[in-house]
Amino acid sequence: MAFIDARQIPDGTELTPDLAIIGGGPAGIALALSLANTPIKMLLLESGGMEFDAATQALYAGEETGVRYIALDATRLRYLGGGTNHWGGWSRPLDRIDFERRDWLPFSGWPFPREDLEPYFARAQHLIEAGPFLYDKLAEGVLPGPLLPLGKGGLYNSFFQFSQWHGNPQHLPTAFGHRYAEQLKRLPNLQLMLHANVTGLRLAKDVRWLDHLDVATLSGRKFTVKPRHTVLACGGIENARLLLASNDVIAAGVGNQNDLVGRYFADHAIPRDNATLVLFGGEIAGYYKTTKDAQGAHFRATISPTEGFRRERQLLGALITVEQHVELDALGRAAVETASGALGIDASDSHAYSLGVGLELAPDPDRRLTLTDDRDALGMPRLKLNMTIADDDLTRYREVLNEFGRQLLASKAGMMRIDRHSRAEWLSVMDWGNHHLGTTRMHDDAKQGVVDANSQVHGLANLFVAGSSVFPTYSASNPTLNLVALTLRLADHLKGVFR
Amino acid sequence: MNRTRRNVVGGASITVLAAAALGYEGWRHFAKHYPPTPYDDLLSLLSDREAAKKVGRAFLATNSGFVPAHAAAALRHRIGAQSLDSVLKDELTRGNLIEAGHWLLPQTLVGLCALAAKT
Repeated sequence: MAFIDARQIPDGTELTPDLAIIGGGPAGIALALSLANTPIKMLLLESGGMEFDAATQALYAGEETGVRYIALDATRLRYLGGGTNHWGGWSRPLDRIDFERRDWLPFSGWPFPREDLEPYFARAQHLIEAGPFLYDKLAEGVLPGPLLPLGKGGLYNSFFQFSQWHGNPQHLPTAFGHRYAEQLKRLPNLQLMLHANVTGLRLAKDVRWLDHLDVATLSGRKFTVKPRHTVLACGGIENARLLLASNDVIAAGVGNQNDLVGRYFADHAIPRDNATLVLFGGEIAGYYKTTKDAQGAHFRATISPTEGFRRERQLLGALITVEQHVELDALGRAAVETASGALGIDASDSHAYSLGVGLELAPDPDRRLTLTDDRDALGMPRLKLNMTIADDDLTRYREVLNEFGRQLLASKAGMMRIDRHSRAEWLSVMDWGNHHLGTTRMHDDAKQGVVDANSQVHGLANLFVAGSSVFPTYSASNPTLNLVALTLRLADHLKGVFR
Repeated sequence: MNRTRRNVVGGASITVLAAAALGYEGWRHFAKHYPPTPYDDLLSLLSDREAAKKVGRAFLATNSGFVPAHAAAALRHRIGAQSLDSVLKDELTRGNLIEAGHWLLPQTLVGLCALAAKT
């Protein structure tokens, strides 16, 4: 069935699907695909169209305070496919430790272990088109060049895999909207509506049931959707906004009885050029600096703290990447000469590289989204983000770098310079992953989480949340693979709900 | 050995000796020489004293309390009869690294560099 244009829906219409999916990003599309050919009549409501539109994108504008962050209308895209329209395809599954409650990390832990998500990784990997699910197993096979010899220690060679849309001549990462449009049109149990903005989640009087959704278009049409069940899949920022803004019955907003919605916002901090790596004996293998192909995967190596090291030293996730070749200054050359001489190593063919990293931030309830008095073109309150990064987050990463430097010297492979020291220096090179996490966190206890282990909003029997906003802790791994896997798990749960 | 052969061997020997003498003088002239210090037993462990001095100066720029005599005593105690390689290996296993000019280096090596910078 062709996609429906919401601007053609008559005012006052009431639609009654079994399941409403709000948002056509990777979570919404993965959910629709995984519920294909079931008796569940789905309606997917996407705010945008098939391409970027400035007026629709402007609905995302908001304010930021605190640590410098990306403008709220620049860090995401509001048309079918959502964030996958501008993602880099970087993929890596969460580790076991990321699901664990750690006494030394407040607010950590998922309500289920990684094993519960594992059955869904293979299908998620298929949907994002990142090749065979290998990741760290790549180290066991043939690679185009040697692994960095790290010896014994807290860091190891790990791997990203990359989404590649093979139907695209440039092999760009899979943009879910365009990639799956035809497939979605063929689903007999799906209606997909473009230009349909959900502006309110309206509760029944007993506040235990979501009664209907208010929908509006930028052209001025208004209608309602009265589904049996609803999945909110608008991304880590907009999910919180819609819940908070739906405050006509519960003043704090839907699902926000315990003042958790919008709190614990997180992204992956990416301080550029934060350290310099020197290898004594020649160039590093190309797959550390850029993507390469091996074993059927498009991949790139990263250096990461092991789970054991993270537990022992109370560290967060960090995925270090080798960036560019750099020239050393006189002191750098002297340091290499001194260290290699003392270790009895010939460093006449040494090479230096700048390092980047993706960093996990500790959950922080004050890193949060709140509503402002400003309103968008549809009358929805805009958001303000208070962004924070703790000194501890940076200190923990420094410990990772110290261990990296130690391992390089101990294995007589190279050495390390740490290039950022003060908080101001770190912040001056800070970039962000555009990964919006944690704002509707998952926890068994309604006082500590917005949704339960099945992604159902606590206290509301027919409202679920999909996407990385439910991640209570998230490591440094890019979220798309993981949120798609979690969505497939939600799809299985919904099949049971509708049975 | 006939006379001609004796002349050739003698001439060659003189040439070799002259070349060796020239080489020695050249080395004496061009190679860096350092006046004797009370720490030569330690400084001789460094493969390149000029490079070490640069590293040492970078360390001293942010560590003002360095007293060469005390540092030398501590280094001698730490190294003892071991080779430098063995000492560094032990420090790297234990994670005894410090920064010199933001470069992560074994503590003993940085101590030697700082000593070199003070001489």
